[in-house]
Amino acid sequence: MARPGAVIEVDRNTPPVLFHFGEGVRLEKLPLGARIVYPPDPLDPIAHPERAIKRALAKPLDDDPLKSLLRRGMKLTIAFDDLSLPLPPMAAPDVRQLVMEEVIDMAAEAGVEDIHLIAALGLHRRMTADEIRHIVGDRIFSTFWPDRLYQHDGEDPEANVYIGKTSAGEDVTLHRRAAESDLVIYVNLTLVPMDGGHKSMATGLATYRGIREHHNVKTLMSSLSYMNPPDSALHHSCIRQGQLIEDTVRVFHIETTVNNRAFPSIANFMQKRETDWTAQDQAMFLGMKQFTDIAPPAFKRSVFHAMRAPYGLTGVHAGQVDAVHEKTLEAVRNQISVRVEGQTDIVTIGVPYLGPYNVNAPMNPVLVVCMGLGYLFNFYKNKPVLRKGGVAILTHPCRYEFDAVQHPSYIDFYDEVLADTTDPQEIETKYELRFAEDPWFRQLYRKSHAYHGAHPFYAWYWAAHAMDHAGDIIIVGGDRDVVHRLGFKCATTLEDAFEMAEQTVGRYPSVTHLRMPPILLADVE
Amino acid sequence: MIVEAFRGKTILVTGTTGFLGKSIVEKCLRSIPEVGRINLAIRSSTRRPAAERLEREVLASPAFKRLREELGEETFSKLVKEKLAVLELDLGRDGLGLSDAGREQLRECEIVIHSAAAVEFDNPADLSAQTNLLGAARMVEALKAAGSRPHLVHVSTAYVGGMLRGLVREQAPHDPGLNWRHEAAVLSNLRPVVEEESRRPEILKRLRREAGAKMGPAGTPAVARTTERLRDRWVKDKLIERGRVHANAMGFADIYSFTKAMAEHAIVELHGDIPLSIVRPSIIESALAEPFPGWLEGFRMAEPLILAFGRGILQDFSGLPDALLDIIPADFVVNTVLAVAANPPPDDKPRVYHAASGTRNPLRFREVEDASRRYFTKNPLRDKYGQAIGTPTWTYPTRGQLSAQATTALRFVEAAQWVVERLPLGADVAKVSDDLNGERERLERAVNLIQLYGVYTEVDCIFDTRHVTEIWDKVPSEERKQFPFDPALYDWDHYFQDVHLPTVVRMSRAETVVRKGKQPTGSTAVKPESSSVRSAIERRTGRADVLAVFDVDGTLVETNIVEYFLWMRLRAQPLEDWPSFMAQMLREAPRWLYLERRSRADFQRTFYREYKGLDYEVMKGLGREALDAVTLRRIYPEGMRRIREHKRAGHRVLLLTGALDVVVQPLADLLEVEVDCAHLLIDADGRLTGDLQSPPPAGEARGTLLEEYATRNGIVLAESFAYADSLSDLGMLELVGTPVAVNPDARLSQVAGQRGWRIERWRMAPGNWRLPMPDPRSPEYREAVRR
Repeated sequence: MARPGAVIEVDRNTPPVLFHFGEGVRLEKLPLGARIVYPPDPLDPIAHPERAIKRALAKPLDDDPLKSLLRRGMKLTIAFDDLSLPLPPMAAPDVRQLVMEEVIDMAAEAGVEDIHLIAALGLHRRMTADEIRHIVGDRIFSTFWPDRLYQHDGEDPEANVYIGKTSAGEDVTLHRRAAESDLVIYVNLTLVPMDGGHKSMATGLATYRGIREHHNVKTLMSSLSYMNPPDSALHHSCIRQGQLIEDTVRVFHIETTVNNRAFPSIANFMQKRETDWTAQDQAMFLGMKQFTDIAPPAFKRSVFHAMRAPYGLTGVHAGQVDAVHEKTLEAVRNQISVRVEGQTDIVTIGVPYLGPYNVNAPMNPVLVVCMGLGYLFNFYKNKPVLRKGGVAILTHPCRYEFDAVQHPSYIDFYDEVLADTTDPQEIETKYELRFAEDPWFRQLYRKSHAYHGAHPFYAWYWAAHAMDHAGDIIIVGGDRDVVHRLGFKCATTLEDAFEMAEQTVGRYPSVTHLRMPPILLADVE
Repeated sequence: MIVEAFRGKTILVTGTTGFLGKSIVEKCLRSIPEVGRINLAIRSSTRRPAAERLEREVLASPAFKRLREELGEETFSKLVKEKLAVLELDLGRDGLGLSDAGREQLRECEIVIHSAAAVEFDNPADLSAQTNLLGAARMVEALKAAGSRPHLVHVSTAYVGGMLRGLVREQAPHDPGLNWRHEAAVLSNLRPVVEEESRRPEILKRLRREAGAKMGPAGTPAVARTTERLRDRWVKDKLIERGRVHANAMGFADIYSFTKAMAEHAIVELHGDIPLSIVRPSIIESALAEPFPGWLEGFRMAEPLILAFGRGILQDFSGLPDALLDIIPADFVVNTVLAVAANPPPDDKPRVYHAASGTRNPLRFREVEDASRRYFTKNPLRDKYGQAIGTPTWTYPTRGQLSAQATTALRFVEAAQWVVERLPLGADVAKVSDDLNGERERLERAVNLIQLYGVYTEVDCIFDTRHVTEIWDKVPSEERKQFPFDPALYDWDHYFQDVHLPTVVRMSRAETVVRKGKQPTGSTAVKPESSSVRSAIERRTGRADVLAVFDVDGTLVETNIVEYFLWMRLRAQPLEDWPSFMAQMLREAPRWLYLERRSRADFQRTFYREYKGLDYEVMKGLGREALDAVTLRRIYPEGMRRIREHKRAGHRVLLLTGALDVVVQPLADLLEVEVDCAHLLIDADGRLTGDLQSPPPAGEARGTLLEEYATRNGIVLAESFAYADSLSDLGMLELVGTPVAVNPDARLSQVAGQRGWRIERWRMAPGNWRLPMPDPRSPEYREAVRR
């Protein structure tokens, strides 16, 4: 059995601990008495994924076997998660490819001819052909691309339909093809508890009109945290929307989970606890450190982004959405949950080079905030690891760098909006609509590979809870101008950051380091 | 005595739009209200009739502020109406261009004060001769023709003796053996000769080459205009030089003192029985007390020097530190002139008076330097960072040494500029080029100052003032207070520290107080950088007849037609063919660089030949791909924002570019704007011929295209905007009301600076620069090549 997660108290014998630092790493000595929270070791993967998939499709949860749902002459649509999952991208073959190949074979056997595959990317960027090929595999790609394998376009008035309002008055929209299909099969990959379930359809195939109902500051401020769906207003809203969709169209959900083996063997030291490092790991670390210290950012990035994760499939469930998602969440929690006792004055987090929105692109400052204070900070259940008014310390170089193709609206968000204010509420009321309806961003989202005009706002709202909760936020090693623009403080070394934090939380603060990725979910008592 | 002499008299003052003439009129009006009438000799200029010039160029001057305040506006205008009259005359014409009424008016004058002159030391020879020499002669002739015998007071200069040593007496000029008529003819007739010379082929060729280097890409008309401007300047420079050399040959420091000396000869010869007094002031500087301390108009002689000293531009200066520098405050000169006017010579022998300080209150050159140093140490000028500028210590080398040093430095800077302007780096060198330009201007100014004024600091003579002192002795003590003109009455220290130097600094508008510092970096406040363009957009919101025209390459996108070509060609060929293709491109590069520099149109024409034989549909597909791979990655976010602002404001937006349709059209489609770009001819097989369908839209063609577009669509160009980065877009920028130079190259930067155009620096989002070649590892590339 895999070793569960652990909380280790720093004593004289504790080796320095790894901090992710963008396209680089830092090894930091934490003060005596500090706690380090480690994720569980990777669970053992399912030995025969294909068999598991077949089994899941044959014996779905609370639903009929898939075979019985397929019939000749039907209109079948397969929607699948985009490349924001998993991170880093999975080494081929992608689980989604395995599932979709199985589904398509089954459909072909049943004589279904009208099959469309849609990348359910919501307001994310369109993927390149190559990126899609990586997800669906060569076989599907060469058969279906580009006429029957294409990407959702939330700004195409022709391709989307309005479904109605939920009981709470939220608008619901859906991709037209999906709405008009006899059966929609959603192929999902759930890496973190936020993903999957009703959220898949409710955001993946929706338009700005539907997504803005829950992607807003008010909802996010009452999602504590959005990594634990029962406590998340975001998910409650998605469930309401999803139920309306399920009433409109027959959806068959297939959800997969993977373990947390996020790094290939070359970066094994990132996967392992420092106490477990072998001589080889030490050497790899030293080599990597030397390389990242001197290499130019663009070169480092190309090396890091070429990394593929050797994830192993830990579960595949199919059938009715609620039943499936419950099983999925259980599998995810098994992999990432760690019990942590009590809150702490200071939380330290190393922000890695990659987040959901910068695959094959630099992590721009707004995304650093989204990743560090959005995703990583919110990996908790019950209460944040950080006490209210405590200090969050992140490590990231925070360079003024943007991918002009993928993140044009982020550039303007940084240059115009953040120059004016960093308050999420104010930003939402003053700027969101203007960006969302900007014809240029709409064009870039539809025709190029850009995130939607509203997307930088969501990235910023994602961190709204953390910015409200923390008394102070310090970024170690960041570009000073950039960090100030983001509204935070900047420190050169971790020691300085602790020194600065003491001004807020007092002398001899308690410190907890969340050693991720690999991802962990802190179950705080 | 003075007041009495003027009581009820009609007087004429010439040169009243000038500093001294204006001061004389003001003093008369204020201190001698008993005067009968003051005629002001004013010429109608091309822009304004004489009466309007009186209002705007004389009475509106700060000199009259005191009188206005003392009398009140109403009494003042009553006084003006009662006492002042315009006598329209033109010293440049024989007979002064007088009307009959004018002649009558002239006849009535009992005192004539002739203070009109072209006082700049570096005026063209013909202008100086006409105004200073012939003007004075014509004045005397006109008086004689009118049959009147007024007392003529001719204001000359103390330096009419040329470069003398020792005591200069107050006596009629001795004959240098020159015929003033001949000299006047020689100098006046120089212009046609020099004009003629300026059209000699080798000169015109040189000027044309110079203009080409400056403005080449802007197109033929722009080059022609520049050539003509350069020729005009060449003619002026030549005339100045000819004048100076001529004066030097005759033993004078400059054309001013030479023509003034000749003028004295002329009027002494011509005056006949007209009583004649000549007042020769030395260097006139700001007034000591009247009408207010520090009254000064225009920079005269010492001011540029003093400022250059305070600004640290003149690190050293030549001259004799112990020589007398004869400076005299303006109000003392005015009083001297009035006192002389009140004392006509008893016979028809002319009297000469020196308005100079040298004998009564000597001032040495070194004392001026010391006074300046003390003043600027206490009240330093500030550089652009707000720091105090230290004062130099002058060592007084010889003029030759100094001038050689400065000239050498100037040559170095010019050479550096030549190199920088030819670097194919575009906007990156603009900053360096601007710096060099500033340095060149500084040195040119220094060289100029040394040439012009160096002589005066080497004059080793004393101007005798016995005649002036005699009059002073006759002035009763109550009038002495009212009309002081004895230089012994004041103290130089007071004059410099409290009157003159503050005046010079005030008039130069130099920075003397510490400004509020720049905002610290990292400040999150919005930079007001483009605020004026933004506000212009806001002002014209909702107007469909406003156009915003954008150049593309270099203005909206950091790329050029070569890079697109490179990308598209590499994209279409297998990896193993890359090296030979690159080698071929490199071979051609120097030729293209040369052509690009000379003329954008020639370059484009030549370069587009490379497209010969390529399939149009394929290129269109590649162009569409280049949009994501090249264009969008290298786009300036600020440019995109600006386009959207214009669209939000309801303006039309047009991309006007010499780039090919295959690469620009996708961008225009995405932006949803109109585009005017280059199209290549296509043959029957759908292949490009490499020839353009119409002349490339570069240089002047841009201007015509834009005008054409404007008339077709009812655009008001004067209210429109243009954004461009290079000199070849000049035709387009010149046409619109709000031109914006975006990341200008060195040459456009200079032009924009001269014309006060807005300069903006737009940047690519950092971290997006890639070589203009497709990624050979990408599956798309491999796939495409396999196909």
